[in-house]
Amino acid sequence: MLYRISATWARVELWAAAVLAVCVTLLVLLNVVTRNTGNALFWVDELAIYAMAWMTFLGASAALHYRNSVVITLLPDAVSLRTKAVIVKIVDIIVFGFALAMLWFCWRWFMPLELARAGFDTKIFQGNTFNFIYAEPTSTLGIPKYIFWSVMWLFALGATLHSTMHLMTAPSQIEKS
Amino acid sequence: NEFRLGLITPPPHIWTKAAGAFGEELAEKSGGAHSVSVFPSRQLGNEAEMLQQLQTGALDMAFMTVAEVSNRYVDLGAFYAPYLANDIAHAGRILRSDKAASMLAPLPGEVGVVGLGYGMAGLRQIVSRGEISSAADLSGLKLRITPFTPILDFYNAIGAAPTPMPLPAVYDALANGQVDAIDMDAELIWVLKYYDHADTIVQSDHMMFPMVGLVSAKVWAGLSEEDRAMIGELMAKHVDSTIDSYIEKEAGWLAQIADTGKTYTKVDASFFGSAIDDWNAIWSEKAPSLDDLRAVAAETR
Amino acid sequence: MSPVVFLVALLLSVPVAIVLVITAAWYIWESGNTVLYDSFAQKMFGGLENYGLLAVPLFMLTGELMNEGGMTKRLINMARVFVGGFRGGLAYINLLANMFMAAIIGSATAQIAVMSRAMVPAMEAEGYNRGFAAATTAAGGLLAPVIPPSMMFVIFGVLAQVPIGEMFIAGIIPGLLLTGAFALVITLVGLQQQFPKDVWMSRKEAGRALLEAMPALLIPLAIIGGILFGIATPTESAAIASLIAFLVGWLFYRELKPRQLAKMFKRTAVNASMIIFMISAASVFGWVIIYGELPQKLAGFITSITSDPFVFFLIVNLALLLVGMVIDGIAAIILITPILLPIATGNYDISPHQFGVVVCLNLVLGLLTPPVGIGLYIASSMSDTSAGAILRALWPFLLAVAVVLVLLSYFASLSTFLI
Ligand code: NA
Ligand code: NA
Repeated sequence: MLYRISATWARVELWAAAVLAVCVTLLVLLNVVTRNTGNALFWVDELAIYAMAWMTFLGASAALHYRNSVVITLLPDAVSLRTKAVIVKIVDIIVFGFALAMLWFCWRWFMPLELARAGFDTKIFQGNTFNFIYAEPTSTLGIPKYIFWSVMWLFALGATLHSTMHLMTAPSQIEKS
Repeated sequence: NEFRLGLITPPPHIWTKAAGAFGEELAEKSGGAHSVSVFPSRQLGNEAEMLQQLQTGALDMAFMTVAEVSNRYVDLGAFYAPYLANDIAHAGRILRSDKAASMLAPLPGEVGVVGLGYGMAGLRQIVSRGEISSAADLSGLKLRITPFTPILDFYNAIGAAPTPMPLPAVYDALANGQVDAIDMDAELIWVLKYYDHADTIVQSDHMMFPMVGLVSAKVWAGLSEEDRAMIGELMAKHVDSTIDSYIEKEAGWLAQIADTGKTYTKVDASFFGSAIDDWNAIWSEKAPSLDDLRAVAAETR
Repeated sequence: MSPVVFLVALLLSVPVAIVLVITAAWYIWESGNTVLYDSFAQKMFGGLENYGLLAVPLFMLTGELMNEGGMTKRLINMARVFVGGFRGGLAYINLLANMFMAAIIGSATAQIAVMSRAMVPAMEAEGYNRGFAAATTAAGGLLAPVIPPSMMFVIFGVLAQVPIGEMFIAGIIPGLLLTGAFALVITLVGLQQQFPKDVWMSRKEAGRALLEAMPALLIPLAIIGGILFGIATPTESAAIASLIAFLVGWLFYRELKPRQLAKMFKRTAVNASMIIFMISAASVFGWVIIYGELPQKLAGFITSITSDPFVFFLIVNLALLLVGMVIDGIAAIILITPILLPIATGNYDISPHQFGVVVCLNLVLGLLTPPVGIGLYIASSMSDTSAGAILRALWPFLLAVAVVLVLLSYFASLSTFLI
């Protein structure tokens, strides 16, 4: 069950990342066209960069599901299969710890509880907390930046989902599914 | 306390040197109780990131362009009124006025930082690949700017296509023609040789470019009264010293640029025609302090 | 304790990016400066807000399209017309092609992405060992940031307040030197391994190969022309090249169908996010160690050891080799330049141009050194070769770079002569 949720979510993440890669390409092309016709749009670069950042974090989360990240396999390759299975479990625990840490960083950063306490009034919120995240502007888009930053939540939640799945699932079970 | 001070300028730059001098004097005056580590060249991140770190209290201090702060507290945009100052010395007098100082007062509540005083960089000039003999020649040109609203409004009013671009990309972009012109100060035009790939340098002096010395409001709240007084006084003194440096050196850079043999023209407000009125119409509404600042400018002219 | 956490996690095969993140988090915990946790996630995001990074997915996409659309195949076929009959011809083609690409592209990672997809399968098909093919391509990619234009030199120039044009000129002789050194390596390895040798094409075959390659030539032309005529930035030229590659592959060669695009964009997203996520992790890692002033302490230590510029350079080179193992390219330049440059110019009277060339080349080398070697992993993923297999063939090239580094450190004029 957990595996199916994780797999489905990873597929969604990958498709979203692919769509964002298309966006990056089209935005950069749009920049060329508009600039060379004397209609330079000054917000395109920033949007393209955010699209790339979203693509990256969604793709990085999906990579945790597929165990498709860059790793040094010197040690696991050198030991017996049994020891290797132990190492894989330890790595799963560490990655799970990382995912929880990311959730905690996002929690400290976005302070959702304090925001709710302030009745979702960001003025009161920043007076109470000295946290100006909801007032931060983007430099050219005219949209609050927390909208783009929210991908860090998606990343933290996705990483938690995928790493929990790996932690709870025996390797053989995954191969069967 | 061991304070961390961040800025975007590299070690040889006037701002970085002022930051170093501030740290030395603070250490000396406090009898070694305080020290300042300077982090130049955006080591801790760009200005937006540093401002965030000031807000959380991760970073203690910064010397930052007023442009960045004005993206969050619009009233500071008033400093960028075209031709508010006649020349660089006049810009210095405006920045040293009581009115200018009072404009920093709302920063703790609005942005989460304490502004202790102004410094500056040189006045803005225009470097162009092609001939520029009137403002009409700027119309339709791709022109590089630092991304903040007042300057964007200025070039939009002229009819140029303002193109935001970080400093590292500028030299190449001008060399290759990805931009036709750039908005830049005399120091960098000379030091980074932006005139290399340009035909025309227009000494327009159209805008000042102030800097502000900031302390994290969170960190500030944790300091004793005596420490606040000492840090406030010393930081104000050293950011202020950059004003003197630029007043002293600006003419020399401009003369060296003029000597390069490129077409060099000096223009004034009349060059830009109605664009300046258009800008004023937008900003008299956006920036409440603009009228007072104009009054200060008139008094100190 | 932090170095232990770093090494243990790395050896256990925790993903490299996650190793950097947890080491940074651990170091903050140890130093007690926990307020940094409030900016941690923001800094991970902020590390990606860099226009130059857009070139990574775009050049990867170009590589995909040129490959699936049958363009690289035809370009290499064309090159074969000229040197196919020589022993080891394709290895030299690889190097020469990399040199020409380096005059277009300013980023080693981007160049390695494009060239690995193009060259490695071709070399393998001709009988080369796949590891050697990927190693030659990865090493050739190091020319990109040395031969102008160069993203590294641009960033160094800005940090050091040195005119960027002068930095570019400073890179010309070192770039040629590096090309020569790599050619020597290929010759020596070739003598030892007896490289495969092709036969010369018949006149008719040759004519056909040239004609077929014409539309594919549009791509390098578009990249060079776009940049030279100011139509596009190097990043944008990658997007244009992708578009042309798609059109040529679809309409001329008819090997590409629009519906294949979905698959290619997905692959691009997977590969690019893997690389860029490591940059995000490296940036938060670098930020934390800068906060701890570790590099500053290192610099103070170096000056206490020697007063000789060359010895200083050797120490710096060794230190940077270590730095380059964990922090790559541009991130490392940003961290290192402000700390070491004032010492080099102030205490040792070294020209900033020479210093820039040496430091940039050294940190570029870091792209190919494990454990964090983005160039190595790009070559590995784009050519479907294990990083270990590449490394086994790569070390003579790395040694050649080291020799060039020593020469550049000793003879200042190699960097400053043309300026
Ligand atoms: Na290059
Ligand atoms: Na490395």
